[in-house]
Amino acid sequence: MSGLFPGFLILSAAMFAIGAAGVLVRRNPIVVFMCIELMLNSANLALVTYARYTHTMAGQVFALIVIAVAASEVVVGLALITGVYRSGRRLDLDELSEMSE
Amino acid sequence: MSVVFGLAAVIAFMGALGVVLSQRTIYSAMSLVLNMVALAVLFLLLDAQFIAAVQIIVYAGAVMVLFVFIIALLSPGAEERLRSVELRLLLGGVGAVAFTLLIGRLTLNGITVGAHGRLHGALGPFSPVAVNAHGQVQTLGDQLFTTYLLPFEVTSLLLLVAAVGAVYLSRRRRQVA
Repeated sequence: MSGLFPGFLILSAAMFAIGAAGVLVRRNPIVVFMCIELMLNSANLALVTYARYTHTMAGQVFALIVIAVAASEVVVGLALITGVYRSGRRLDLDELSEMSE
Repeated sequence: MSVVFGLAAVIAFMGALGVVLSQRTIYSAMSLVLNMVALAVLFLLLDAQFIAAVQIIVYAGAVMVLFVFIIALLSPGAEERLRSVELRLLLGGVGAVAFTLLIGRLTLNGITVGAHGRLHGALGPFSPVAVNAHGQVQTLGDQLFTTYLLPFEVTSLLLLVAAVGAVYLSRRRRQVA
């Protein structure tokens, strides 16, 4: 079991990097939200891994809180996406950049 | 043990790749479900049974149903391929590999794992044997409602704010003439 510790952390790092790349590359806001979920999940994996291998409980408690935060983030984000869709604009992040101007 | 880890890790990795590389949104969502179920298996391997159950119920259940519901409601088609998309994917892939190597180098820096899965340095009182003797859910609950009571209460406040915000954002606005 001890040999798996770096494996868990490397998988977590790879998932975070894939999610970060997805946020930067994809233009569909729904897919961008899914990539954010991926990054939060990889953080959870790292938290639980450290909790297991340092014999502490804090990592698991905060993984639970991260799950709650992710759920509320998805609710607000998807409400925003439906709002944008209802205002008649295409769901494309490159075209939705008018807020920055 | 390591066979189960290898299988779950490969499935989680493939699922993560599928989220980013799928052309259709619904395939991305299904890849994310695959990734989350594989992660639940990994949580079981890490002696975190309650987190694994919550992962399945909240993530693979509630959150992904919400995603699939929104995808079915809005039915966004496939992303149009532009000439710059391939370049973006290439740059994103190179960036992801570099970022993985960087994080991996930083997190594994100075960490040495001794015999019996012990990290060097002081260990807490919650060894897997002790936790499972007391009950994993009981131990987590004890900690959540004593030591970590304030973060727990702040999280409940956050959920309330998110619910109110979602209702406000998605209500039908009356047209102002």
